[in-house]
Amino acid sequence: MAVKKSNSKFVTTERLIFISLLVVGLLLIGFFGLRAVGSYIRIQQTGLEPGVTDVEAIRGWMTIPYIAQAYQVPESFIFEQLNIPAEGNRKKSLRDLNREQTAGNPGALTEAVKTAIRRYQAEHSATPGGDP
Amino acid sequence: MTDINVTDFLLTAIINYGALAFGVALVLGALGVPVPGTLAVIAVGGFVRQGVIDWPSAATFGLTGAVLGDSLSYGLGRFAGDWVERRLGQSSVWQNAQTTFNRRGGAAIYLTRWLLTPIALPINLIAGGSRYPFWRFLIYDLSGEATWIVLFGGLGYAFGSQWELINQFISDFSGLLVGIVIFAGGIYGLFRYRRHKAASARREAVAPRG
Repeated sequence: MAVKKSNSKFVTTERLIFISLLVVGLLLIGFFGLRAVGSYIRIQQTGLEPGVTDVEAIRGWMTIPYIAQAYQVPESFIFEQLNIPAEGNRKKSLRDLNREQTAGNPGALTEAVKTAIRRYQAEHSATPGGDP
Repeated sequence: MTDINVTDFLLTAIINYGALAFGVALVLGALGVPVPGTLAVIAVGGFVRQGVIDWPSAATFGLTGAVLGDSLSYGLGRFAGDWVERRLGQSSVWQNAQTTFNRRGGAAIYLTRWLLTPIALPINLIAGGSRYPFWRFLIYDLSGEATWIVLFGGLGYAFGSQWELINQFISDFSGLLVGIVIFAGGIYGLFRYRRHKAASARREAVAPRG
């Protein structure tokens, strides 16, 4: 009798586990499904232009040499425009440079980099949207 | 450190130190350190297109790092499996789980390398713990990781400077697939449970009483 009782308890637990899997699965499907549809719509709206190097895509993790390569702007030109030495700053991210160089003014250095790139592109009549 | 900072740190490390940083990130990711591995693969595809990293070294370091990390977590599972074996070795549930994984583990290993990546680490641990043959694990692992790097790295390459766009979609889609697999597992389990219950009821009805 005791064995039968414990067996029935095991079976009930097993059933509960499967029902929990269904519930968790449905929650994940709902959550990620909606997010995936949203991301897909965003991609469709933006359109795929692999070569476009819009300055608005500049992020805090980027370094000056990386930006120089991606936007086809000489590294020395960007450092010159920012008025900071290249030595000791080449491996630093924009976020770190921003913290060090423009304390209390978040994003100022990133804006200065964008301005420098726009200036270089205007001076050298770079075709906007051209492959980097 | 927040998730955004980890991602930023990783991307800066990859553009500064190249394929080596990429390989190290994939080793850590396979060991359970919360490193956004798929994002790294997509980003590296974009960096290859921009000429920041060359593809042969990215592919070599990436594949080596991912397989090394998976092998180490397989080893952890094997080590933990010895402990579990000593305690549950006689249990029929544990023996059944081992037999099932040995029979169907290959597909699980392959698919969790590139399609159901959020559950790759548990699969590595289960493979090691259930004493799934290492050479078979390695073959499926290598194939799956190669698929991951070529497919997602290729997407990053195709999207070029806009690789960030595809990353969010892939991450959400991967979560959706995990949800579907868990849901399907629940359905399959309930189906088997009902069949098992019906068979038990039939046996009880046929068996002589007294």
